[in-house]
Amino acid sequence: MNQLSSETFGENAKAALGDAQLRGALRNATTLFGKKRREAAASLSNWEELRSQARAIKDEVLLHLDRYLETFVTNAETRGAKVHWARDAAEANAIITRLAVERGARNVVKSKSMTTEEIHLNAALERAGMQVVETDLGEYIIQLADETPSHIIAPAIHKTKRQVAELFTTELGMAPTDDVDQLTSTARSTLRERFATADVGISGVNFGIVETGTIVIVENEGNIRLTTSLPRTHIAVMGIEKLLPRFADLDVFLKLLPRSGTGQALSTYQSFITGTKRNASDEGPEELHVILLDNGRSRMLAHPVTRQSLACIRCGACLNACPVYQQIGGHAYGSVYPGPIGSVITPQLIGIQKAAQLPFASSLCGACREVCPVKIDIPQLLLHLRSEITDKQPGGRGKERLAFKLWAAIMTRPKLYEKTVIAGRLFQRWFKPPVKAWTNGRDLRPIEAESFREHWRRTR
Amino acid sequence: MNTGDARAEIMRSIRAHLATSAPHDTTNTNHDASLPLPVQSPSPTAELSVVELFKQNLEAVDGHCIIVNSETELEETVKRLTEGKKIASPDEPRSDLFKSDVGVTGAQAGIAETGTVVLDSSVDRNRLVSLVPPVHIAILDASRIYTTLGETLAALQSGDEVSPAITFITGPSRTADIELTLAIGVHGPQELYVIINQNT
Repeated sequence: MNQLSSETFGENAKAALGDAQLRGALRNATTLFGKKRREAAASLSNWEELRSQARAIKDEVLLHLDRYLETFVTNAETRGAKVHWARDAAEANAIITRLAVERGARNVVKSKSMTTEEIHLNAALERAGMQVVETDLGEYIIQLADETPSHIIAPAIHKTKRQVAELFTTELGMAPTDDVDQLTSTARSTLRERFATADVGISGVNFGIVETGTIVIVENEGNIRLTTSLPRTHIAVMGIEKLLPRFADLDVFLKLLPRSGTGQALSTYQSFITGTKRNASDEGPEELHVILLDNGRSRMLAHPVTRQSLACIRCGACLNACPVYQQIGGHAYGSVYPGPIGSVITPQLIGIQKAAQLPFASSLCGACREVCPVKIDIPQLLLHLRSEITDKQPGGRGKERLAFKLWAAIMTRPKLYEKTVIAGRLFQRWFKPPVKAWTNGRDLRPIEAESFREHWRRTR
Repeated sequence: MNTGDARAEIMRSIRAHLATSAPHDTTNTNHDASLPLPVQSPSPTAELSVVELFKQNLEAVDGHCIIVNSETELEETVKRLTEGKKIASPDEPRSDLFKSDVGVTGAQAGIAETGTVVLDSSVDRNRLVSLVPPVHIAILDASRIYTTLGETLAALQSGDEVSPAITFITGPSRTADIELTLAIGVHGPQELYVIINQNT
C-alpha cells in the first residue's frame, strides 16, 4: 500500500498543495459539509446545551472508566455477547484472526470502522488467508485502489467519479460510465454476492451503552445492517472509550453525531444490538464478539488535557472546519486519523517521535474547537503536545528560551530597540536571519529606511 | 496471550493513569447520581399533528408516506404497492430472499421529529425482509408515533432491558461517497414506504 508517513508531513503537505484536482475536491467537500453542519446545528435551539451535556457525560465516563467498563462487560455478557480485551493492535488482530480461523471462515465482510483501520486488521486477516471485503462504498473504492481513507466519514473524498469509473472498469469489468447511480448499483450487486457468502461480519461501534450492554452503530448505506445481520458471527471492534452510561444518553449523542458529521437530523440507520438472539427462530448472528481495544487509550487518561482526546465521537466536523485540512486533505497527515483530531490523537497513539510534526500543523485558529460536538479544546491539546515535543528535543527548550529572553529584552527597552533596528538596517545586506522555513514560501520584507519615530523626530 | 491478563492489565493501566490526574474514587458505585440527565429538546409540534410532522420529515429524506383510515384501505394500499411483485418472506432460503422485489413489515414505533420507523426484531422477523429487497413497506399504527427521539428511547427501554435487535430507519438507503453526489439505494432499499394507519 502506498501510504505516506507522518514523519514526512512537510513534504506530503507540499505535494498535496500542488495537486489541483485534490484541492478542488477538498474545497467542495469541506464547504458543503461545513454548510450542512451549520444549518443542522442551527435547527436545534439547545445545540450549545447539548454540547455541554455530551461533554459532561463523556467526562463522567472517562473519570470512572474502569467501573463503567466492568459494568458494560457484565451486562453485555449476561445477554449473550462474548467480550475480549486487547492491549494493542497486534493482540486485537490475533484475537479476531483466531476467532475467524476457528470458525473456518474464508469470506469476511467489513463495515467502515476507523478502529479497524487503526489496527490494520485487513492485512492481518489476509495474511491468515481470508478474503476481506470493505462494504461501505467509499471504503470499497479505496480498497480496490489499494489506498487509505482520507476523511473519517467520507473515505474516498479525494477521488473523482472518473477515477472511480476507471477503477470499476479495471477491477470489476464494468462498462465505462461516469454516472454515479450506475457506479453505485455496480458496487451494490458486486457486494451482494459477498454478503450472501460471508462467514464473519466485522463492524465498529459508535456507542456502547453501559446499563443495557448494547452496542449502537450508525450509518446511511445499510451495509452495517447487512454485515451485522447476515453472517453467523458478528465481531464488533470498539475502543475502550466508546461508552455512554445510560440508554437515554443516546438522545444527546444521536442528535450531535449525524448533525456534526453530515448535517443530517438522523443518519438513515441506527442498529441497537444487545447481546445475541434470544430464540432459535430469531434472525441475526449466532454469536456476537466484542473486542475492547486499549492501544494507547488508557495512557491518555493521565492528564486532564490529554484525557479530552477520548471524548471524540469521530464525526469529522473538525476536519471540514480546519484551514489546514481544507488545503492538504487527509493523506498528507500520514496517519489513520487526519485533521485536527488526528494531529492530537496520532502522536499519543503511535508515539510523539513518529508524529512530531503533526501538532505543529495548525494555526491554532480554534475553528475545530468551535465545531466540536463534545467541546474538545483541540488548540489546548496541540499546545500541550507541542510543549512535550519541544522538551524532548536536543537541548530541550533552551534555545527557544534564550531567543524569547533576547526578544523580550529588546522589546522592553526603546533605546535598545532603536539601536537594534539601525544595526539590522546596516547589516541586512550581508546577514540573512535564520528563518528559512518562513522565507521558503514568503518574502521577508527589508527593514524600512526610516522608522516612524525617526520620521517624527526629523519632520515635526 | 491470555485474555485474562489483558483485562487485568488494561484495568491497571486505566486506574494508574487516572490516579495521576484525578481524585479517583474507588468506593462510590452510584455514579449515575452525579450525572446530568439528558436535556429534552423543545418539542417541535406547535402546529402540525404528530402524523403530519412524521410525514413531512419522512418526505424530506426521500421516503414515501401514505396515511390510511381503515383496515380495508390499508389492505388495498399494500396490494397496490406489491401487485405483480415477489414479496419477501423471512422463512425462505437466502437465495430466494435476495431475488425478492419487496419486503412488508410492521413497525413497532415511529419518531415524528425525524420521520423514523423503529423495528424491533424480537416482535417480528423483520430484520432481513426490511433490508434485503429493493423496496421496503412498513406499516405503522398512528398511535405508536412519538414526537421526539427522547420519548422513543424511553419507550424502548424497560429497566435495564432493551430488545436484542432494534433498528431505526429514516428514509431509503443513501450514500454520497462518490464526489458527494447523492445516490439512493446503495445497500439497503431504494424505496421506503411508510403506511400510517390512523384506524387504531
